[in-house]
Amino acid sequence: MDLFFELAELSISGALVGLMYTLIALGIVLVFKASGVANLAQGAMAMVGAYLTWACLTLAGAPLWVAIPLGVFAMFFVGRGIERVALRRMIGQPAIMVIMLTLGLEIMLRGLLPALFGPVKKRLDIGIDAAPIIIGPMLIDRAYLVSGAVALILIVLAVLYFNTRQGVMLRAVSDDQPASWSVGISVERAIGISWGLAGIAAAAGGVLWGSIQGVDWTLSLLLIKALAVAILGGLDSILGVLVAGLILGVLENVAPVYLERFGVSGTRDVVASLVILATVIFKPYGLFGREEIERV
Amino acid sequence: MQTKLKALALAGGLALGAAPALAQDKVVKIGFAEDFTKVYTFVTSEYNQGQRDYLSYVNAKGGVAGHTFQANVVDTGNEPQRGIEAYERFKTEGVVLMDFLSTPVSRAIVPRALKEGQNVLTMFHGRSDAADGTTFPTIFPAGALYWSQAAVIIKYIADQEKGALKGKKVALVGIDSPFGKEPLPVFQAVAEKEGFELQTFFYPSPGNEQSSSWTAVRRFAPDWVVIWGAGGGQTVSLRDAIRNGVKLDKMLSVIWLSETDTEIAGKDAAKGVLRFEGVAQGKDHPLIKGIVDEVVSKGKGAGPAEKVGSSYYNIGVASMAIAVEGARIGLEKFGAPLTPDKLKKGLEEVKDFSAQGLMPSITLTAADHQGGGKGRVSQWDGAKWTPKTDWYAAYQDIVMGLVKKNAEEFKKSN
Repeated sequence: MDLFFELAELSISGALVGLMYTLIALGIVLVFKASGVANLAQGAMAMVGAYLTWACLTLAGAPLWVAIPLGVFAMFFVGRGIERVALRRMIGQPAIMVIMLTLGLEIMLRGLLPALFGPVKKRLDIGIDAAPIIIGPMLIDRAYLVSGAVALILIVLAVLYFNTRQGVMLRAVSDDQPASWSVGISVERAIGISWGLAGIAAAAGGVLWGSIQGVDWTLSLLLIKALAVAILGGLDSILGVLVAGLILGVLENVAPVYLERFGVSGTRDVVASLVILATVIFKPYGLFGREEIERV
Repeated sequence: MQTKLKALALAGGLALGAAPALAQDKVVKIGFAEDFTKVYTFVTSEYNQGQRDYLSYVNAKGGVAGHTFQANVVDTGNEPQRGIEAYERFKTEGVVLMDFLSTPVSRAIVPRALKEGQNVLTMFHGRSDAADGTTFPTIFPAGALYWSQAAVIIKYIADQEKGALKGKKVALVGIDSPFGKEPLPVFQAVAEKEGFELQTFFYPSPGNEQSSSWTAVRRFAPDWVVIWGAGGGQTVSLRDAIRNGVKLDKMLSVIWLSETDTEIAGKDAAKGVLRFEGVAQGKDHPLIKGIVDEVVSKGKGAGPAEKVGSSYYNIGVASMAIAVEGARIGLEKFGAPLTPDKLKKGLEEVKDFSAQGLMPSITLTAADHQGGGKGRVSQWDGAKWTPKTDWYAAYQDIVMGLVKKNAEEFKKSN
């Protein structure tokens, strides 16, 4: 395999992985757009979605075509429930308190689900053939390809959704909450819906990742990658997270391979951290985020 | 149900079948401060179940020298500070042997345990240089060190290549952590000696995503692949190896690859993969059969019956078989009550002990806390692990040389 094909394979694989990161990051963006809160429970929500789907499939014996939609849509209500029970009580509190609450949720769910379902990793087979797709000297992982495609479809659906009547309502809430109230939009409901949609995005991401690595608490660690994507793309931009997901996925797949040849190992996670640091320092609103200008 | 296990862990302690009438000093307490809830969850529940079931079995058979055994269980969540808390608690409770089943927690405990004369069991984990009993008098690996596991694996490869390793390519794919890099000195030393080409590929912890590493492995076109991870990372390694066309009968793993991993990767898809084995798997063994008859079938098992005989369950049984043997010698030779020092001396007199063939025979001495470094290679046949070799040790000159060198360095820095 010459350098070109190696680079191409690493880039394609990275882009597909990046799309899967994007799916989870999408939930962070949806919640931030609606409520201005960075949802640090998104990684754990992905984990919960994967556990629920596994439970439907394995414990309840539901067929795959029932288990996945059931698990994913159950997360819509989990997301809404979190907003209704925990987040709504925090209205009027400093943003840092709300963010800490989501972090607390992340930690709680990370411990609760393995305690309920047992700590041993679960197999989540969603029927993707293990055989890779071979294109000349390149190998494309079928699971990544299918997952990347599903992620892309869901992201496109999210973009389309924001052009529907309900989507416009969410955008209005994101733009100006008092103004939305004044024209009769239920801001609380809009925020609740955004949490529900974040639950769907998290569950879809969790199921796809869970089918690849198995289901256990480590799925919640996807939060760091999702945060890096959301920060790079712009916390309020769906297009931004799509582009950022592709950038991060390719970067963290390609860079470590070449750096390792110079004796530098363990750089994969460093890439995500560097992306967060560099973005916050040099482009705090991300690549596509809307800059806020306040009159002093 | 796992919640039961967790409840037990949270409860902090559990008497195992000890008759209430027994005097306190007739109970030998063993402390298990293990990670039930975070990183090592893949192994802890089964491993600890095996440990407690074995102690229950010994108690059911009347104990040892008039003593029964009690398991004090604490969850550390793999956090060294919680491990230290548990260590302090165990000391006040009169525990004579502790097991932390975590390299980072064990490493945090070692300096205290050495200073205070507390025994720590680090079977198949922890620092390899702890085999040097003169430098680490109260630390007992009591089984093949990671370095010895690497040596057994390389010897297997050499045997398959009929001794001709020169020019062969070996890829070491491991987690980017001290544990993942632990076998490197042995691989490097043997590569130099035998003339094979070694290339390393490290993926970040916990190993959920390794695709770029495996693309690089495929490009390297190795003759043999060795995977060195634990938990979720192993499943992903296995899966990515399959998808990258690695021949599984040319891929070997460190001890931490079990039927749970092959099930997640696909039982049939994982057929052929090889692993280092330090303890036999399965129920078809006198000791395991005894546990089933005396403990599990009477509803006194510490966990799900279907886990009895699993790879990690049996490792737990083996670990306690050695501990109980050490306690037996300690009590018989040095008398009651069994103190940490008497147990240490007892463990150092364990000779040719194999737990009725459950594991390779080990002989511990005051200088050697490893006991021979033997293991074997077994292969996944789609349903179970089948032994491919007998128990053997390899390159112990290199391993013990490294043990001495590293123990010296530890001594100088402490």
